[in-house]
Amino acid sequence: MTHGRTPLAFTEDGGLGRDMNPDVVSAIARLRRDNVLGQAQATLFDRVARRRLVSVRFEIRALLYAGVLLLTSGVGLLVKEHRQDIGPWAIAGGIALAAVACLVWVIRNAAPFSWGAVPSPNVAFDYVLLLGLLLFASDLAYVEVEFTLLGPKWPHHLLVVGVVYLLGAYLWDSRTILGLALTTLAAWRGVSISVIQGSLPAVNAGNLRVNAVVLGALYVAAAALSVRLERKAHFEEVFANAGLLLLLGGLVSGVFGSELNWGVWLAALLVVAGLVMWLSFPLGRSLYFAQGIVAVYVGLLRLLFEPFRHHVSGLPFFLAAVLGLGALVLILAAHRRMRER
Amino acid sequence: MRPDSVAWERAAEVRAAAQGWRRVGAIDASTEQAIREAYPDPCITPSAVWRVLTACMVAAVVACTFGALSLAFRPDRAGLQVLMFMFAAVSLVATEVLEALPQCARRGAAGATSLLGVVFLLVGFSLFLLETLNMRFDDAIDTALLASVLAWAVSAWRWGSPPYAAAAAISLFLFLGRLPHGRVLWALVGVALAGLAARRLDEASWAPSHRRGAAILVVAGILAVYAAVNVYSFDEHLLEDLGRFGAARVAPSPSLIVVSALATAVVPLLVLMWGVRSRRTFVLDTGVVLLALSLVTLRHYVHLAPLWVILALSGAALVALALTVERALRGAPGGEIAGVTADPLFADERQQRAFQIVPVVAAFTAPVAAPEEKGFAGGSGRFGGGGAEEKF
Repeated sequence: MTHGRTPLAFTEDGGLGRDMNPDVVSAIARLRRDNVLGQAQATLFDRVARRRLVSVRFEIRALLYAGVLLLTSGVGLLVKEHRQDIGPWAIAGGIALAAVACLVWVIRNAAPFSWGAVPSPNVAFDYVLLLGLLLFASDLAYVEVEFTLLGPKWPHHLLVVGVVYLLGAYLWDSRTILGLALTTLAAWRGVSISVIQGSLPAVNAGNLRVNAVVLGALYVAAAALSVRLERKAHFEEVFANAGLLLLLGGLVSGVFGSELNWGVWLAALLVVAGLVMWLSFPLGRSLYFAQGIVAVYVGLLRLLFEPFRHHVSGLPFFLAAVLGLGALVLILAAHRRMRER
Repeated sequence: MRPDSVAWERAAEVRAAAQGWRRVGAIDASTEQAIREAYPDPCITPSAVWRVLTACMVAAVVACTFGALSLAFRPDRAGLQVLMFMFAAVSLVATEVLEALPQCARRGAAGATSLLGVVFLLVGFSLFLLETLNMRFDDAIDTALLASVLAWAVSAWRWGSPPYAAAAAISLFLFLGRLPHGRVLWALVGVALAGLAARRLDEASWAPSHRRGAAILVVAGILAVYAAVNVYSFDEHLLEDLGRFGAARVAPSPSLIVVSALATAVVPLLVLMWGVRSRRTFVLDTGVVLLALSLVTLRHYVHLAPLWVILALSGAALVALALTVERALRGAPGGEIAGVTADPLFADERQQRAFQIVPVVAAFTAPVAAPEEKGFAGGSGRFGGGGAEEKF
């Protein structure tokens, strides 16, 4: 914090003028009067509460994000509209050059590698890294489309992209890139956990379900190993949340998508979700617990509605309401017991 | 709001500020503890995960109970309305009870019951207008929108929920859009709303959540004014389409189009100037969004360059602008220029960066590997397969 070094005269007027957060301003005056806060502390806090010192960090981040989005969109459109005019080698070379420029900047500005958390050297770092890797991925996709290097095994280029993302995430300590790596690897296996695209399309639902469950289990295992081996332990949340989404989503999909053996899927869901909820307590992760209880609730709805699938009745709705009440009691009890990290 | 709730909110505001000071090491643990003791807050405030989970589960319980009763009794039209009004009453009373209890007020349950209460009330009222009073569809829409303004505004005031203020503002402008000269009303009421709400943004006698509601109304007013004067909205009769069925559409005169084009350029600049002068980042952000919309409008009418050039150049310009601003602020004495800094100050940056993962992953993840999707699809402007997918 550099701003504590430039204290202004703190006016302990207690008067509530305009342009400020009045509750915090009056509290600072009182806390200064009671000697809870020192003069320098009160001066800094007062400046912020009165908006005489304003942070535009969020705005800078938003501009960078929008810039990367527009740039990659522009490159995509260029390739789509002018691939015949410009020629494949020029396009592939141009995108590669831009990607290399971004990644060289990243390498020159990056902090030394560590298995612990490494703070970004500046606010632009994450976005230039993102841009570089996205351009690399686009270039690879273009080369694959144009020169068909992998032939019928073309989806394997997603594996290459996913692995490069994974390496990038570890090298430059980026949880955002790790998230991209995990979703790209899922896409390679035909599973989308993207918010936009929905999940588990109908084609080959059985195979996709197995892919989702296996990949989810692998991600959860990676989360556990990250913590146990103390290798980027702060990646645990990204690994585990992506893994649980795939694992529990795959099991719920099995419960609702299977006609004959949905009971087996439900039993598996209850066991896995119960385990997740139980483990969320020592880990202090409320999001894991939330995913577990939602999956259980949704899965049990099939059990409640199945006997009534051929006639309309209010009873399953009533039972679903009672089940929801039970879940609510469990949530309140869990919140009281869990010590969140 | 109940006086107790206001007092709890004020204490929570100070404790949240102290938490931010502690996070960056500006105060020590004992000072934070002293502040917490000076500003006691009896409410239990779970994290967002717990609140959302509780709210969703309460909503599921209420919705399933409604489904069970409506299927069990199979009510006729009047009976369904009565059932909806009953559910509205029970939900709203439950909200009052929950809001009064410090151990329940901030758990998310009150938010769910208040939302469902107002929705049941409005749906029941709309059915009453259409089916019991046999009102004409247009008249019923007008009356329901007025009821919606009133219901959301009262809820926002009573329970201090800023999203309800937004719902009230949306209902108000939808209603105004249906009146004759709706566009003029949007502009006039938008200016009035933004002006009046802006005077209350720092009103000490208002609860913190009411001040946040005022901020939402400022943004709603600005957006309404912009929608009223934007040249594309004029050209495409966007607001006139909100009007009653069969209402006459009058083509705007060329001079009005010119004035509108000028206003499309000027309004974002005025909002930006207001944001800079008032040092309110939400006004500044609104101005930036409006400026972007004006540039998109300009591109729609004036083809300065191919779209890919515009996209790539504007993207590069945004990145360059962000880097220049950040570098200038970092290099300035004390890390600030005219009281503006690139430091996060007391915000929880770790949490902000965690939240950022979702939009990045959602926007940039490759489409799934399905054989028929190979290639640069022509129709939708899709560019992907390797991690970049754009839709236009």
